[in-house]
Amino acid sequence: MPDLRIDAIINGRKVSRTAKPWQRLIDFLREDLHLTGTKEGCGAGECGTCSVFVDGVLVKSCLMPVAKAQGARIDTVESLGRNELSVLQKAFHKAGASQCGYCIPGMVMAATSALRANPFADREEIKERLGGNVCRCTGYQKIVDAVELARDVVNGRISATALEEEETADGRFIGANVRRLDAPSKVSGALKYAGDMVMANMLHVQVLRSPHAHARIVSLDISEAAAMDGVEAVITSEDVPGVDGFGVFVHDQPVMARGKVRYVGEAVAAVAAEDVVTARRALAKIKVVYEPLPAVFSVEEALRPGAPVLHDYAPDNVTKHIPVRVGDVARGFAESDLIVEQVYETQAVEHAYLEPEAGLAHVDADGVVTIQSPSQNITHHRHMLARILALPINKVRMIMSPVGGGFGGKEDMIYQGMLAILAIKTRRPVRLVFTREESIASTAKRHPSKTTLKMGLTLDGRIRAVEFNMVCDGGAYGLSTEGVMRKAAILGAGPYNIPNLKMDTYGIYTNNTPSGAFRSFGALQAQFATESHLDICAERLGIDPFEIRRINAMRPGSKTHTKQPLKSASLLAALKAVAQASGWEKGPPTSRGEARRDLGGPGNRPSCTLGSRIDGAPGQARDEVA
Amino acid sequence: MLTCDEYLTPTSLDEAFAAMAAHRGRHRLIAGGTDILPWAREGRAGDVDVPVLIDITRISELTERKVAAGRVRVGAATPIQRFLDDKAIATAMPCMPRCAIWFADDQIREQATIGGNLANASPAADGVPPLLAHAAGVELASKRDGRLMRRLLPLNKFILGSGKTALADDEIMIAIECDALPGYGGSFEKVGHRRSLVISVVCLAGLVKLDASRRRFEDVRLALGGVCPVPQRLTEVENFLRGAAIDSGRLERAAAMPLDFVQSRTRREYRREVVHGFVMRGLINALRRAGADADVLKPELEAAYA
Repeated sequence: MPDLRIDAIINGRKVSRTAKPWQRLIDFLREDLHLTGTKEGCGAGECGTCSVFVDGVLVKSCLMPVAKAQGARIDTVESLGRNELSVLQKAFHKAGASQCGYCIPGMVMAATSALRANPFADREEIKERLGGNVCRCTGYQKIVDAVELARDVVNGRISATALEEEETADGRFIGANVRRLDAPSKVSGALKYAGDMVMANMLHVQVLRSPHAHARIVSLDISEAAAMDGVEAVITSEDVPGVDGFGVFVHDQPVMARGKVRYVGEAVAAVAAEDVVTARRALAKIKVVYEPLPAVFSVEEALRPGAPVLHDYAPDNVTKHIPVRVGDVARGFAESDLIVEQVYETQAVEHAYLEPEAGLAHVDADGVVTIQSPSQNITHHRHMLARILALPINKVRMIMSPVGGGFGGKEDMIYQGMLAILAIKTRRPVRLVFTREESIASTAKRHPSKTTLKMGLTLDGRIRAVEFNMVCDGGAYGLSTEGVMRKAAILGAGPYNIPNLKMDTYGIYTNNTPSGAFRSFGALQAQFATESHLDICAERLGIDPFEIRRINAMRPGSKTHTKQPLKSASLLAALKAVAQASGWEKGPPTSRGEARRDLGGPGNRPSCTLGSRIDGAPGQARDEVA
Repeated sequence: MLTCDEYLTPTSLDEAFAAMAAHRGRHRLIAGGTDILPWAREGRAGDVDVPVLIDITRISELTERKVAAGRVRVGAATPIQRFLDDKAIATAMPCMPRCAIWFADDQIREQATIGGNLANASPAADGVPPLLAHAAGVELASKRDGRLMRRLLPLNKFILGSGKTALADDEIMIAIECDALPGYGGSFEKVGHRRSLVISVVCLAGLVKLDASRRRFEDVRLALGGVCPVPQRLTEVENFLRGAAIDSGRLERAAAMPLDFVQSRTRREYRREVVHGFVMRGLINALRRAGADADVLKPELEAAYA
């Protein structure tokens, strides 16, 4: 394998090194030169976190073989603002454009490229030029605001003082525009996420995953993989020293599949090797014989009598049932003038945080197993790890590395156990960085749901009774399902006074990818049903959809469905603000035509177009400045 | 991931052919790399080991561009971005800048090459419909018995099916040649799930030339991608319009002509509807850009489609 010779100017410095012929530019920058401001969010050119300048032109370094860098001048995010943040970086700081920060170095690079190409780019052109970069936190508005702010400062349209912190009146921060303290570390690319961290003598971990949704592991032979040069350790469930089980509410998930696999993507074995390529080649040498078992892929299949059972402790495949009862629904329906019943379904959703899961573990000098990972629940992870590793709690340390987007998806402890076991076994630091595909295949999703909702109302729009039955696909393991079902049951009927309520939420085991925590934690699915239903009821009753919500709104003094007295309630104020901001045309849903009257008017976005660079009048913006 | 034992970067055709001969059966050509790297990942080809990768982007003939004597010649390793920012090419190929702006994103346009887009032969390749509309040919070269052989294949004879081309194992795509069509109005319409970095569900390239009166079609060229294994010219629609007076009714009849080659396995009805809208919009946009008088079409037609 003849190595390549790479002579390049990187961030203004001459670099002469060898590289592996298969390396991509991103590997060379991150692994060999430790320039980790360049991130890998997808490895497939889809997300833009790896954007760098090659001979002054912005490219995606995950799509560029390193051989193409021979003789080139390369500038990474580390080349910007070396002594002082660049105007763009300051503008990102000021505008609050960075949240988790993982997309931000790429965004700063794309914005730098955009303003170099056209220092007068208007908002539409900026959006176009940033089209190759994905962000999951901000909704993009603040990022585009930041680029516009930087453009105007650079062009002298506004003073550079606009980049400075605004003074807060009398030291009051509520309602003030405050800059985030951690933004400079993010806009500069200096912040180290778990996948950016290295330790001396570190090994690289890769995970063998199940190709079956439900199968018994007949045999698992790691001998050939373990004997390979460069492989330090191969582990399976047999290597778990303590009680093998984790989960937020029920400890039903083994660190690696034990006896059987329950979903496609479940960890079966893990390899620690000198480099990622060797680790991946070792995975191919692990011999697993599976005996496929009947599987269930929907809640209906899982609840059918005689359905395949996933976990022995739950022979009915029910992970959790949460009931809430208020009043008497039979009486409530009898008092109703209108009864509407509908079924609502929602699908699985991937969190798609820009930072794929990653972790670094080592055993320190005092024998403390230390794991750094972007975990949203480190104390709980620590407790579970102590049990799994059969160690006293003071011998386990969890450090929360910066979370490059979580949205609930990093609450569940999917891989930290494997890292801890490998660190103990090899007595060397070990690091695992998920690929994007692995992240999508193996980690939790939003619960798919099916809700049957029956509501009884009087002709004047007052809700008299609600019967709400929501069944959620929790996938193969419990994770946060119980909490998600509880939250759905508590909040799902909405902030409305309902005198008679029968609410049931169920989490069900299936052989699908496990479902877990995701922003709003079950309330979203339930409220999608409730709010959609209220619109339908408003239509049937000829009442304005805002009005039907006002009629039933909880007010200060109301009690929630779980008997919590409310000292304050802001629904009426929120409804007023939304009606105003949306330019709501009053009246029942049937009173409007098929299109909004203000379509294409001020405050409405035009439909998707491209080509402002071709069709726009480039002279216009410049004239304005002159 | 994609691994290899050797990565070669020849700087001349001779060197490239020598490397191909030395590693016959163990090599793959690589240009921009923007298709092959995502291909060698989980869920697609998985981990792929190619013993020898031969990078052809530093062969100077493959990046040359020339507009002369009514012809355009573009090296196969030309990045897509050049169709957007090279004025001479953009003038001679009026629908290409509009295709380029929809192609992937700003970064990938600097990396992906036009030759790679053709050689990859995706049914949804954005580069193919405009080149079909330009009646492009593809120049392929090989070295057989020590002699450099070149052949020029019409693009529709080069792409044989989804992922299939006429490129032989010992051949390199050198350049794309086509008629220069300055004075034509060009359009490119595309729809996918989002604006950037998206595979076309349907895309359409349009070229229109007006006669001296500016009220009659002198030439019309339309090509469609994303709806059948190989992008296609809409020959019947073109013939129906060529030489005809520009008129709203005729445009509507043209767009209503049966398009039985919409063969996609999924969302066929949706695609048919989009094709109808795109024929209208593509023609209207190309007409405007060709300089048609503002009053040749009913204003409501333009409002509805363009």
